[in-house]
Amino acid sequence: MAVAIAAGKVWRPNRGLSQAAVLLLWRPGARGLARSHPHRQQQQFSSLDDKPQFPGASAEFIDKLEFIQPNVISGIPIYRVMDRQGQIINPSEDPHLPKEKVLKLYKSMTLLNTMDRILYESQRQGRISFYMTNYGEEGTHVGSAAALDNTDLVFGQYREAAVGAAYAAKRANANRVVICYFGEGAASEGDAHAGFNFAATLECPIIFFCRNNGYAISTPTSEQYRGDGIAARGPGYGIMSIRVDGNDVFAVYNATKEARRRAVAENQPFLIEAMTYRIGHHSTSDDSSAYRSVDEVNYWDKQDHPISRLRHYLLSQGWWDEEQEKAWRKQSRKKVMEAFEQAERKPKPNPNLLFSDVYQEMPAQLRKQQESLARHLQTYGEHYPLEHFDK
Amino acid sequence: MAFVAAAAGWLLRLRAAGAEGHWRRFHGVGLARGFLHPSATVEDAAQRRQVAHFTFQPDPEPREYGQTQKMNLFQSITSALDNSLAKDPTAVIFGEDVAFGGVFRCTVGLRDKYGKDRVFNTPLCEQGIVGFGIGIAVTGATAIAEIQFADYIFPAFDQIVNEAAKYRYRSGDLFNCGSLTIRSPWGCVGHGALYHSQSPEAFFAHCPGIKVVIPRSPFQAKGLLLSCIEDKNPCIFFEPKILYRAAAEQVPIEPYNIPLSQAEVIQEGSDVTLVAWGTQVHVIREVASMAKEKLGVSCEVIDLRTIIPWDVDTVCKNADPFSLGLYPTGKMKEETNNLY
Repeated sequence: MAVAIAAGKVWRPNRGLSQAAVLLLWRPGARGLARSHPHRQQQQFSSLDDKPQFPGASAEFIDKLEFIQPNVISGIPIYRVMDRQGQIINPSEDPHLPKEKVLKLYKSMTLLNTMDRILYESQRQGRISFYMTNYGEEGTHVGSAAALDNTDLVFGQYREAAVGAAYAAKRANANRVVICYFGEGAASEGDAHAGFNFAATLECPIIFFCRNNGYAISTPTSEQYRGDGIAARGPGYGIMSIRVDGNDVFAVYNATKEARRRAVAENQPFLIEAMTYRIGHHSTSDDSSAYRSVDEVNYWDKQDHPISRLRHYLLSQGWWDEEQEKAWRKQSRKKVMEAFEQAERKPKPNPNLLFSDVYQEMPAQLRKQQESLARHLQTYGEHYPLEHFDK
Repeated sequence: MAFVAAAAGWLLRLRAAGAEGHWRRFHGVGLARGFLHPSATVEDAAQRRQVAHFTFQPDPEPREYGQTQKMNLFQSITSALDNSLAKDPTAVIFGEDVAFGGVFRCTVGLRDKYGKDRVFNTPLCEQGIVGFGIGIAVTGATAIAEIQFADYIFPAFDQIVNEAAKYRYRSGDLFNCGSLTIRSPWGCVGHGALYHSQSPEAFFAHCPGIKVVIPRSPFQAKGLLLSCIEDKNPCIFFEPKILYRAAAEQVPIEPYNIPLSQAEVIQEGSDVTLVAWGTQVHVIREVASMAKEKLGVSCEVIDLRTIIPWDVDTVCKNADPFSLGLYPTGKMKEETNNLY
């Protein structure tokens, strides 16, 4: 019954792929190792029946030639809990997180922001070689991380490997979910296609978390894809999918929490597309004024920032004030600076370590190269900045 | 040196010509005379198709590993996989069509024996197969991935070279995918054409972090495959497909290991060192006997077995360390010195 409804939604032209935030794809009951194959009900073969018997799809016939129109004008709706002023819109969606947890969310995001500023500056000063900031996307990282257990596995990239790890976790009955983060640009790679398809066919407890921040370095989404973003691809693979407001830390939290619960309970993948905006440059090697307007960036910085929205919520709850804000800014700066200076004082690893961990054991050829380098440095060491390296 | 190289080349061509006899007679006439001739026999046609041939030379029955059984190459692979899944409860086998037994029957019976969560098909996507395998291995479980033909390994090249090979190094040994083994049918069969015949080991031969292994026989295959599976580094195991049925010998039923990165001197010799791997070992053995018979040259024959990291010491023990391959030593060295 549910199949017919879902099928009807797909086939009707000029309609969006879904009317609801979460697509409900019919699943034949509990998943897991016991009942994993096949998914579709086996039709009885009957020559009197005019129903399609193709193994490749479960669908009705249609006798009118119609192409499905992809709907990108009215795409998959974006789930949010708070408005831009940090007010809960639908009380039944309020996660009712305790004060300590919400403060931890806020402090994590702001600490990250502080670290970004300091490290970006330090690159400009030549103290580190390269840095990538998180400006504008703090809600996606922190909101999703807060919804996971600390034994869950996190892959930042490596989509197919994440699926393999999830499969192994399922076999081990580990009660762990794997989450894999990637951007809307990385979603164009074959890796993403492979990852989605394997996760669905092999029934893996994995959350695919796509941060759609509008740009892949300089490439805007209009040049990255023509469909309805990344969330719309999920159903194509048979994956439960949702699009959320990535700047709403509660929405990200709720979606990830529910996805985690179901991924582990039902051994199936989930796709969360968190819509957000990359306020900073792609990296310290990038100057984004070359391809986007300052006004556009300012809009997001001023009008729709995950940290601001959560701060509004905290203030309205009476859990935060200006004084605490000032004190915390000072404290977080100090924390980052101390860690940075401590790291700066450390010497670089010994050149010996160039050769270890290539294999578990060092093969003879590498040992010879290692010894050759050691001899070379003994003779010509004065020409190398060995004082910066561990002895 | 040039003389010896030329002589060996002549010998190889002579041996090949033996099989090509029919064709060579009609050289220069366009199509072979017998092609449309009504009196051409079926045997002639079949023989003309077999342009290259070799004789598989089995090794003597191994005594030190217990009871043996006559197995061909694909059966020895099945035996190794069976032993692995029995010993290691985390081990899983996956790839295209492995569930029903595989296109070369290497995984026959394993799904029934060990369950569908341990022996399963994947979608048709080599980068996915290897990437997925890396992920399993990262959690510490044993992943045995199959790439249906070595010719199809290239979509997985990025996963192998950029991910698997560097996993341990880039994380300073915090993580690794050492329990990944990729197995793949390899090498020519005569009718495989462009995409069922390739020997791509050279593409991986300079990639630090992985091991590449190629057996010459069923007994070697089982021992080397078990070593690859147990090795704590990601390994690629190429299986000479032409030997799947053609090579049969006594192979121990119980598991045993043949060490990796150790070449085997299968024939001692004093004049020339011949190095080969996989199917070509049997060809080179024939060349060695022809060299003895026709040129009075004594050839050392070495099966390299592991392509990377390779056994430099064994190969270079007798050969000049500055130039490998065919190089005269002993009597031939004297004669070639006199030529110059």
